[in-house]
Amino acid sequence: MKYELVAGLETHVELSTKTKIFCGCTTAFGGNPNAHCCPICIGLPGTLPKLNERVVEYAVKAGLATNCRISEIAKMDRKNYVYPDLPKAYQISQFDKPLCEGGYIELSNGRKIRLTRIHIEEDAGKLVHERGDTYVDYNRGGVPLIEIVSEPDIRSIEEAKEYLEKIQLIMKYIGVSDCKMQEGSLRCDVNLSIRPEGSEKYGTRCEIKNMNSFAYMEKAMKYEFERQADLLDSGEEVIQETRRYDVESGCTESMRGKEDAQDYRYFREPDLATIYTSPEKVEKLRGELPELPDSRLKRYTEMGISPADASLMVKYQAVAQYFDTAADGVNNPKNVSNFMVGQMFRRMPTEEEKERCSIASTVPPQNLNELVKLLDSGKIRMNQAKTVLETMMDSGKAPSELISAEDMAGINQDDLMEICRKVIGENAANVADYLGGKERAIQPMIGAVMRATKGKADAKAAQQILKQLMEAK
Amino acid sequence: MSAVTKEEILKIANLSKLWVSEEELESLTHDMGEIIEFANTINSVSDSMEEFDNINNLSNVFRPDEVIPSYPREKILQNVNGGEDGYFPVKKRS
Repeated sequence: MKYELVAGLETHVELSTKTKIFCGCTTAFGGNPNAHCCPICIGLPGTLPKLNERVVEYAVKAGLATNCRISEIAKMDRKNYVYPDLPKAYQISQFDKPLCEGGYIELSNGRKIRLTRIHIEEDAGKLVHERGDTYVDYNRGGVPLIEIVSEPDIRSIEEAKEYLEKIQLIMKYIGVSDCKMQEGSLRCDVNLSIRPEGSEKYGTRCEIKNMNSFAYMEKAMKYEFERQADLLDSGEEVIQETRRYDVESGCTESMRGKEDAQDYRYFREPDLATIYTSPEKVEKLRGELPELPDSRLKRYTEMGISPADASLMVKYQAVAQYFDTAADGVNNPKNVSNFMVGQMFRRMPTEEEKERCSIASTVPPQNLNELVKLLDSGKIRMNQAKTVLETMMDSGKAPSELISAEDMAGINQDDLMEICRKVIGENAANVADYLGGKERAIQPMIGAVMRATKGKADAKAAQQILKQLMEAK
Repeated sequence: MSAVTKEEILKIANLSKLWVSEEELESLTHDMGEIIEFANTINSVSDSMEEFDNINNLSNVFRPDEVIPSYPREKILQNVNGGEDGYFPVKKRS
């Protein structure tokens, strides 16, 4: 039977505040084990949590950037469970009054993935397993997280990937997280079920825990989809349970079933006051948001830039900012994106270089702007501009330093005519072919004219003149 | 009839990773029942939990996002005999 995939994601994003959510310890990644700890974050009795104001602000920004409603009244709750990575035996989280509710992420296929909620909570410590023994490092304990919960609106692995990529990009744009999956600052749980194609009823779901890379998420979802399909095809049932993806075997395996489902006995955290977010505060935070990726993408495509090039630039905020400066006041912004995607990206081969738009230190955006404006005004030709840009990237020089007045003067019509005559004289065979109906025979002759003029001629004008001269023979 | 059943006590013990013997189960069920009944008197005052929510009327008690030096690691690990290689060892349950 053919099945449809149904999935919802719970995404954990580590916030890039300087300090932990309830104490002043640093959130810096790494460091010696248990060196970023105090009595509050190792849960000693008698300590009191103090809420970091920036955590609330970042979570509200995350909500605004994903079309959520911001709750005027929110509170913190205790989620009780016993595990060594959680020294208090409860996690301070939010249960029935989260900070944000009801947003959505729009995918490129036009489908909207609804968000149930975004809440704030503390991260747990890290367990290290060695030779059968277990050790705990509480440096990560108390690092602030937001959990973004989606509705079961995702219908394919591609949609899941795009959804997660969009969350990652938005959070990076608004500066609330660096979203580095390899450092664990972005990770997600996938709730996945399947149903016969065309059916409206949801199947029984399984939760796959802690996907910390796009590749693993893709593999785990693929495996889990096939596992559930095999079960149903052979007349068995999917059991509701929590599963873990095993990287070695490429399979998901059961962690705990429904009967061991956690009963968290949530109740209000009595040590923390209510969080009141006024409409004024919400508007202030909204005002601090930058232009978001979707709106930037729309703006770029409306400028005439191809969707592929536009997405490539939007993917790196620093690159997009570079483009905005370089395209300021130019006639055709597409020239700018063509130079950037076609030539400049090659000088930034790594993700890290693109993230910070490293080429800007050699070619400031103003220099590219200057080059494109010279092109706009007809002072230089496209192929000349391409060569100049390569030299700019090699030397760090501005166009004005590289292009002489003579270069900019281009070539006058009489000189061009003379060169064309000469080329026709030297290419008798091509002329005969052309006149015999082989239109393509003109191409090598245009090339010869361009070489003779060092690229200063306009190729179209050269073609025109060559045609006229040959046909007049 | 007690406000708490033996099954509930066993469930809570299980969630708390505690082992309860048969004799303890009897007395625990009795004692916990009395505690719950005492706490239940609050229900006779009001039907709404909302009224007890945030009775101190505090909101927005925040801390600025400023780093305070963490504790020296010896202090952090002093309750586990100094730990092992800087870590808290997790004791195996027998």
